[in-house]
Amino acid sequence: MLAPVIVADKLTKYYGARLAVDEVSFEVRPNEVMGLLGPNGSGKSTILRILTGYLRPTSGNARVAGFDVVGQGLEARSQLGYVPEDVPLYTQMRVNEFLDFMGRVRGVGNTRLPVAVDEVIERLSLGRVRNLLISKLSRGYRQRVAIAQALLGKPKLLILDEPTNGLDPRQIIEVRELIRTLSQELSILVTSHILTEIERVAHRVAILLDGKLLTVHALGAGGSTRFRIRLRGASESAVRASLQAVQGVGVVESLPSQGTYILESTIGTAPAVSALVQAGLAVEEVTSSGSGLEELFLRLTEGALR
Amino acid sequence: MRSFLTLLGKEVRALFHSPIAYIVIAVFLFLMGYSFTLTLFVNKYATLVHIFFQSAGLLLLIIPIITMRLFAEERKAGTLELLLTAPVRESHVVLAKYLASMTVVLAMIALTGTYAAVLGIFGSPEWGPIYSGYLGLSLLASTLVSLGLMISALTSNQVVAAIVTIGVSFMMWTIDTLATMMPDALERILISLSLLARFTPFATGAMYTSDFGFFVSSTLLALFLAMRALARR
Repeated sequence: MLAPVIVADKLTKYYGARLAVDEVSFEVRPNEVMGLLGPNGSGKSTILRILTGYLRPTSGNARVAGFDVVGQGLEARSQLGYVPEDVPLYTQMRVNEFLDFMGRVRGVGNTRLPVAVDEVIERLSLGRVRNLLISKLSRGYRQRVAIAQALLGKPKLLILDEPTNGLDPRQIIEVRELIRTLSQELSILVTSHILTEIERVAHRVAILLDGKLLTVHALGAGGSTRFRIRLRGASESAVRASLQAVQGVGVVESLPSQGTYILESTIGTAPAVSALVQAGLAVEEVTSSGSGLEELFLRLTEGALR
Repeated sequence: MRSFLTLLGKEVRALFHSPIAYIVIAVFLFLMGYSFTLTLFVNKYATLVHIFFQSAGLLLLIIPIITMRLFAEERKAGTLELLLTAPVRESHVVLAKYLASMTVVLAMIALTGTYAAVLGIFGSPEWGPIYSGYLGLSLLASTLVSLGLMISALTSNQVVAAIVTIGVSFMMWTIDTLATMMPDALERILISLSLLARFTPFATGAMYTSDFGFFVSSTLLALFLAMRALARR
């Protein structure tokens, strides 16, 4: 297996006497989208700032692409692209000029630079605004410019802090799509306090509360999916019997009086549905009930808050 | 080196993009021009000594206005985070800002060279004190710019940066006036810290290596402290 792109080991950060991050350890693998989920003030941004070298951990250590973020800060920083939460940009510069500046700062060679800038401009559909002052751009375009600069120099890791904040629904969908496409080339660490956002893009999610890492939960491809199925006039025993033969599918919850069952499957919905149909049961409705992340999040944060 | 030149280019452009540099230079030259003309017509001496002292006094007020935004603005806008999380060294960031500000200040001082040229054309000034005066002004500017840079690195408020820099600069300029009231040992220390006491020999045509050393080492110390202020906490 390839070496992890991020290894965080017992990261701890105090701001004065306040403990902001408490012995957080996790890894991000190559081409993985890892989500950091937690309410505001749970330490997500602090963790990102430690990984990007903006802050020093009080104790513990972290490596980015094998480089220690404190001892080999310059090398570690050259392996990552970072988009901070409020998308700070040099607003007095034009988009072109800003990307050229960031490309040079990020060590893109003189001969490669124009090509690299054109590439990110095309990739983030910035062609129309490339000669405009950044101060004249909308929030959505600024977000794209910030992501574009982070991709210059072909980093191994992209770190996005609340990338969908302040965007309209259409822009949110675009960012989501972009994250999915980019994950084919690099690893992505993304934070959000919005559960459904993380659920839609991440392969794994680390749940944080009050600076503590509560759990790391696998989603999507690596994990299982849950769905709700409604049948007409079928007994619970018939449903269970027809699903018994299907490997990787189980009944999580059953409400026979309503003909509704919540199933969990590691092989998708189709095998379960076809098994039910083949057994002669009338399937009326199949709806996705998400990844179980919401339930998990509520359970964990409730327990921790008590 | 390349990333340093990139940072320097960005800083120089930022300074000349904002109207502050032009306004500051224009006001400085207007006041100095007025004073030069007036004094020349009244005294008819081919000397720039009074111009050097007046320039130094104005630099105490003007340099904090040039340096106030250097880090405070970037801290407030969040771009400091963007800059320091890119693969650049803090020392490069600090030096780029220092050199860019010095470019503006030295350009401003150099433009007063026209007065020296006028004296040269219409009179026969002693050139030694003029050269040493310009060297003294440049060294004084260097200390003040690095001081302003250091203070700007400590805050996200430009006005606070400017006021504190003006306060500290004036304190250092006049600190030797207190010296005579102090015990001997303290008197010597206070005089050695005084910008005025260090600058006066340059303005009047005398140059001492100790004064030269003071301006250079105070610049280096302030730049070092600015780097420490930026250091990843």
